[in-house]
Amino acid sequence: MIAMIEIEFLSTAVLSQKAEGEKIKFLLTSLKKGKILVLEDPLTHGEETMLIEATMKKVTSGFPGIEIGTLGESGVAGTASDFRNQLIRMLGGKPSGFTVIGPSKLVRQIKRDPETLSLFAGDGRKR
Amino acid sequence: MMGLDDLVNWFMSIANVFKKRKTVRLGLYGAPNAGKTSLANKISMDWLGEPVGKVSRVPHETRTIQQKEHVAVKANGHVLDMNLLDMPGISTKVDYRDFMKYGITLEEAQKRSKEATKGIIEAIKWLENVDAALIVMDSTEDPYTQVNITIIGNLEARSIPVILVANKIDLAKSKPGKIREAYPQYPVVEISALKGDNMDELYHEITTRLR
Repeated sequence: MIAMIEIEFLSTAVLSQKAEGEKIKFLLTSLKKGKILVLEDPLTHGEETMLIEATMKKVTSGFPGIEIGTLGESGVAGTASDFRNQLIRMLGGKPSGFTVIGPSKLVRQIKRDPETLSLFAGDGRKR
Repeated sequence: MMGLDDLVNWFMSIANVFKKRKTVRLGLYGAPNAGKTSLANKISMDWLGEPVGKVSRVPHETRTIQQKEHVAVKANGHVLDMNLLDMPGISTKVDYRDFMKYGITLEEAQKRSKEATKGIIEAIKWLENVDAALIVMDSTEDPYTQVNITIIGNLEARSIPVILVANKIDLAKSKPGKIREAYPQYPVVEISALKGDNMDELYHEITTRLR
């Protein structure tokens, strides 16, 4: 029997109104519920670090952590790439790239190659 | 007879002696089992004659930051005084069941797991307190992991100088070229911390790039 997997695609609008801390809390809550998340707006390196730190505070036997992969522009707050992303958003566009995150109990690995992200989920046997 | 170059070098070395040297906080970052403690031990043994910490094949052996103060690395006519900070390996997951695969008891594995999560948080917090960093990578593994990318991205955003260390080149499966390919904008030094291979090149890079 194949277990059901829930993948949630989060548009820029869902997260853009949230403060950094709130955004991390929101993502972590969904991840703890066993959801795989695909973010239309990629996380910055700073946000990724915050997410790893927040995850470590919540590690239990039932939630050992996460797997994460970001493709494309991932500017850190205050840097030129972040400024570029903000400018693109102000002009009505969206920065290139996306982030995929999943609970490690479900997602074994997210591999980057470097322009492709492959997500490996399941029991470990290749079909 | 002393040539002009020799004379300049001699004056430079005298000047270096009198120059007020700043102590650089050098963080060793990377994923668990990349060989950070082996490298910290090698550097500390070479310049202080004493090791930094215990090395183990069990991941997350280093669960608190281990420090050696005033490690004075000399190379290329320069001296760099460093506080060597061996960081716990950063990962996105810590599962106590993984420790049990190494014959560790359930109770000890759960304790290790808790300590490992705290170590990762500590290492992340220190990203803003180091002056320079060595990113240690296991050259037998895929270097293009999100953890490596995130660590490097954070340091870059803070303008903290970084040297990538392709460790374990003594192993047959080692492919340090993959690290150069993945991070072409950073200096990469290929070493074996265990065997001490190519450490002179690393000391040369440390004293020239991280001053």
